[in-house]
Amino acid sequence: MRSRYDVVVVGGGHAGTEAAAASARIGARTLLITPDMGRIGQMSCNPAIGGVAKGVVAREVDALGGVMGQATDASRIQFRMLNRSKGPAVWGPRAQCDRAMYPIAVRRILDGLPCLELFQEMVEDLVAEDGRVVGVRTRGGTLIEADAVVVTAGTFLRGRIHVGGQAGVEAGRAGEAPSVALAVGLEVLGLRVARFKTGTPPRVDGRSVDLDAMVRQDGEVGDFRFASYVRETIPDQRPCWITWAGADLKRVVAENLDRSALYGGEISGRGPRYCPSIEDKVVRFPDAPRHQVFLEPEGLHTTELYVNGLSTSLPAEVQLEFLRTLPGMADAIMTKVGYAIEYDYFPPDQLRHTLELRSVPGLFLAGQVNGTTGYEEAAGQGLVAGANAALKVLGGEPFLLERDEAYIGVLIDDLVTRGVDEPYRLFTSRAEFRLLLRQDNTVRRLGGIAVAHGLLTDVQKVSLDERLRDEERLRQWFVATSLPPDAVNDALEAAGSSPIREPTRAAALLKRPGVTARVLLAVADGEAPVTDQDTLSSVAVELKYAGYVDRERARAETLRKQAKIKLDNELPYSSFVTLSWEAREKLDRIRPDTLAQAARVPGVTPADLQNLVMEVRKLRSQGTGAGT
Amino acid sequence: MAVVRVSGAAADQVLAAVAPALEIGRAPPREARLSAIHDPSTGDLVDRALVTRFPGPASYTGEDVVEISCHGGWLVPALVVEACVVAGARQAERGEFSRRAYLNGKLDLVQVEAVADLIDARSRALHRASLIQLDRGLSERIAALRERLIRTEALLAHHLDFPEEDDAPVPLTEVVSEADDVLAKIDGLLRTAPEGALLREGAVVVLAGAPNAGKSSLYNALVGEDRAMVTEVPGTTRDALESTVELGGFPFRLVDTAGLRDSEERLEMMGIEVARRALARADLVLYCTEKMAVGAEFDRLRSEINVPMVIVHTKRDLRGAGAPGVWAEEVAGYVDVAGYVEVSTVTGHGLGDLQDRLPRAVFSGLIETGGEVPVVTRRRQVRALEAAREAVEMFRRELEGGVPADLAATHLRPAESALEELLGVVSVDDVLDVLFADFCIGK
Ligand SMILES: Cc1cc2nc3c(=O)[nH]c(=O)nc-3n(C[C@H](O)[C@H](O)[C@H](O)COP(=O)(O)OP(=O)(O)OC[C@H]3O[C@@H](n4cnc5c(N)ncnc54)[C@H](O)[C@@H]3O)c2cc1C
Ligand SMILES: Nc1nc2c(ncn2[C@@H]2O[C@H](COP(=O)(O)OP(=O)(O)OP(=O)(O)O)[C@@H](O)[C@H]2O)c(=O)[nH]1
Ligand SMILES: [Mg+2]
Repeated sequence: MRSRYDVVVVGGGHAGTEAAAASARIGARTLLITPDMGRIGQMSCNPAIGGVAKGVVAREVDALGGVMGQATDASRIQFRMLNRSKGPAVWGPRAQCDRAMYPIAVRRILDGLPCLELFQEMVEDLVAEDGRVVGVRTRGGTLIEADAVVVTAGTFLRGRIHVGGQAGVEAGRAGEAPSVALAVGLEVLGLRVARFKTGTPPRVDGRSVDLDAMVRQDGEVGDFRFASYVRETIPDQRPCWITWAGADLKRVVAENLDRSALYGGEISGRGPRYCPSIEDKVVRFPDAPRHQVFLEPEGLHTTELYVNGLSTSLPAEVQLEFLRTLPGMADAIMTKVGYAIEYDYFPPDQLRHTLELRSVPGLFLAGQVNGTTGYEEAAGQGLVAGANAALKVLGGEPFLLERDEAYIGVLIDDLVTRGVDEPYRLFTSRAEFRLLLRQDNTVRRLGGIAVAHGLLTDVQKVSLDERLRDEERLRQWFVATSLPPDAVNDALEAAGSSPIREPTRAAALLKRPGVTARVLLAVADGEAPVTDQDTLSSVAVELKYAGYVDRERARAETLRKQAKIKLDNELPYSSFVTLSWEAREKLDRIRPDTLAQAARVPGVTPADLQNLVMEVRKLRSQGTGAGT
Repeated sequence: MAVVRVSGAAADQVLAAVAPALEIGRAPPREARLSAIHDPSTGDLVDRALVTRFPGPASYTGEDVVEISCHGGWLVPALVVEACVVAGARQAERGEFSRRAYLNGKLDLVQVEAVADLIDARSRALHRASLIQLDRGLSERIAALRERLIRTEALLAHHLDFPEEDDAPVPLTEVVSEADDVLAKIDGLLRTAPEGALLREGAVVVLAGAPNAGKSSLYNALVGEDRAMVTEVPGTTRDALESTVELGGFPFRLVDTAGLRDSEERLEMMGIEVARRALARADLVLYCTEKMAVGAEFDRLRSEINVPMVIVHTKRDLRGAGAPGVWAEEVAGYVDVAGYVEVSTVTGHGLGDLQDRLPRAVFSGLIETGGEVPVVTRRRQVRALEAAREAVEMFRRELEGGVPADLAATHLRPAESALEELLGVVSVDDVLDVLFADFCIGK
């Protein structure tokens, strides 16, 4: 370790590792500081990556050169494509991971980056000069200078863990110390602070569970990969198990509600609506006959099972009691107790789209500290914050993603423009252009942007070029090749599609319902270019749904036009008397970069926008001394 | 009497300048005060008037408003306005108060249109429809439709974003029936549009028939004034005459035309050409005839128009009592014939019957609903509703045809924005809020 770096990243969770790796790939001298090197990239909660929308983010991070996709491939012990029966815009790759192997893979990838160093320590304070951050001070008192600092302390800031009725215990995660001094340090810098909460379910020993009483859920076979540039070796696969929490369980929870930390009034912070505790489910949906519960393997070399769906802060003995009402779990042995955690976050409307704080130049925030929840959300922000920290120090253009380019763009714009009032997680319905933001086209969407900002290593760049070349070649084949009736009609009939009379372009046939790219390629009999599965599905989806995709693009274009109307960051919003008071106050705080962003600020009406345009015009004409 | 309205941040300053005797601090909001109005430049007394302050946002425009109720006539109000302008105000543009009310979120666009209609209203029916619109009757329906679409999106979001929630899956059939319901509601509104448009413009009722049939006499009787020349000479009327009348509370534009016949005379031929043009824009035709049987002339007219017609058998008094027209039986089977009436402009026979019949022939839909439902009165409203309808219809058809829901859903946003253009705004948060209020989701 030296005494000065371009960029220092505080925290080695999902945000921190991506931030450090992105900064290092761009070429900034980077140091990642985290209190326990054995837990770099640790999954605090569910050992799974991906899902609907989240899985797309994991692949976006990968396409931008990040760590998450590769680490997931290297540790995944069950894979499923969620929503496969629905349209391509909502396919959600999801992997169950080995909790021990994931961090090992992360560490291996980080160790391969020449500009990155790791240091095991706790950061106690940020050092600021003239309102800008110039370094960090560790618990041991060491001062490390840096031109930019990225804080990704997760749930650790003034973290308090609650398990049934007992007064909260200070902790960052079960068994880990919280970060109190750092939280104070950030508050002293003038950041606004608020509290959120989240929870995790108990775990059980698989040997004590009668799995025959449950529904077995196997993963998909096949070669799906999160990572597009680097091929990892995928471990053996394991099944998950499904059961249901019924009336007995709901009764146990209902009878003990007053002993829950959540409902006993001990926790004040707000929790996520979409990740409700079992207490929440029982209270909010008393009439639902049952709730689904997944038993998920924690790893290849352990019998421990994660009880997904029963997050709770009830006392340990109540948790055991309700677990034992589940079919096949009458003798269940609980290995870990579920708990709720409360922590500080910084309302993200204090940030720019680069994730740098408006009020403290040089300080970037990413991950749970910005009020989000989830590994993928953290990773996406980490990458953006780390990249921008490095680009700022090295003098590059900021790295920004638009809402029609990536879920990461949607995520960050939502955070910065709208703020959060509950832990934020991504959904496909948060994106207005979800048809453009698919899991199959991340490389085509983001590869070029990644290269332009120096986010890819040489190895990744070579792989990207190959991939894009393969895609183009395959696309050309579909567009240029006409298939004759005698070659293709049998296949069409088998697909339930009407026969053709004239030779017809493969791309046109592909648009028909039921006709897949694979079928057409089989007909071509070795004439078509051979590609891997991922390339094929990327090209096929784009061609098959071209009409829809084009329409969505046209809509995105109109938004882009609005986005071209730039707003000065220093506009005197509070003096714009024609705007509503609420709009003035919100705009003054959020300071949108464009008119399109202003339109998304909650509480700003179309009338406000119209008046804003007039005010800005007035201001300009005054400034230049021109008439009218 | 006239009211001069001043709106804007400086309204009180203007008031202070034109009514120096009034202590503004002592003039409580929304209470009238008698005060002298002076021209601030000359100090001359302009009028004694009632002055009322409406501090924003509880005012028509949402801004600070001052209203000066002064004496009427053409000079006094103009002098009061001038005094206000001297005091720093600016002459308002046409419709500017309503525009400001819209910009300040006090009225939505449909309401602004209603204000215009209310001012223009020449019939009780339009007056009532405008009041319903102003009262957000129509806006609320449109807003409710938009909410239904958002709910449909939320149902879909649940379907798309929570694949593992097998506890309470939303069957797509539910989404389809939701869309069907929205379509039915849009159709319901659109059905009022043809009559709604006639409410604003007045239904064009053309009196047509052979020369000398008694058209002009009937026209005069319905208008209640001798507007058209009447003579016993066939071919008296040459130009088309138009008058606006209110019948049964509904607005009509009666058009008297030249008698139709084959003629060589140039002037008469021109008159007949004018008559045909009038027929082309008719919403209803009153076919006037004194003949006892359906003839070629009637058939020819029928083939030329595609709006309903009422057969008016004229000069009842000349036929003696108890000889009901053969017409009644002959035309009973014709769907395009909205009625048969015998009239006499000499005795007044059948005129009341005819006056009752006209509203029913043109505004039957509105009459059936008793005037209580909101009516779509403008082309802009129709266009937006049709755009929304088309998009929802596409969505529904594709969903049912097996197109994946996320693709079909690309039609919903355009449908919503069409409705929003009628009224206001949306955000994605609306969808999620509905989603979380209604469903148990998440693990
Ligand atoms: C109990 C619990 C339940 C959860 N439940 C869910 C869930 O149900 N669904 C879901 O999507 N997500 C859940 N999460 C959230 C998920 O774990 C986080 O969203 C994700 O890990 C956030 O990533 P991060 O990088 O921001 O922070 P973390 O992964 O928390 O990483 C923070 C890192 O910062 C380090 N650090 C902290 N303070 C300092 C310091 N002063 N100096 C140096 N390093 C420091 C920590 O050691 C850690 O390595 C849960 C988290 C917890 C703890
Ligand atoms: N007795 C009687 N005479 C009528 C009646 N209506 C019209 N007449 C007479 O019929 C003649 C023609 O009447 P108009 O009203 O001018 O007929 P028109 O259809 O307008 O004729 P053109 O304009 O020439 O096409 C006049 O002499 C009227 O006085 C009626 O109800 N009873
Ligand atoms: Mg006449």
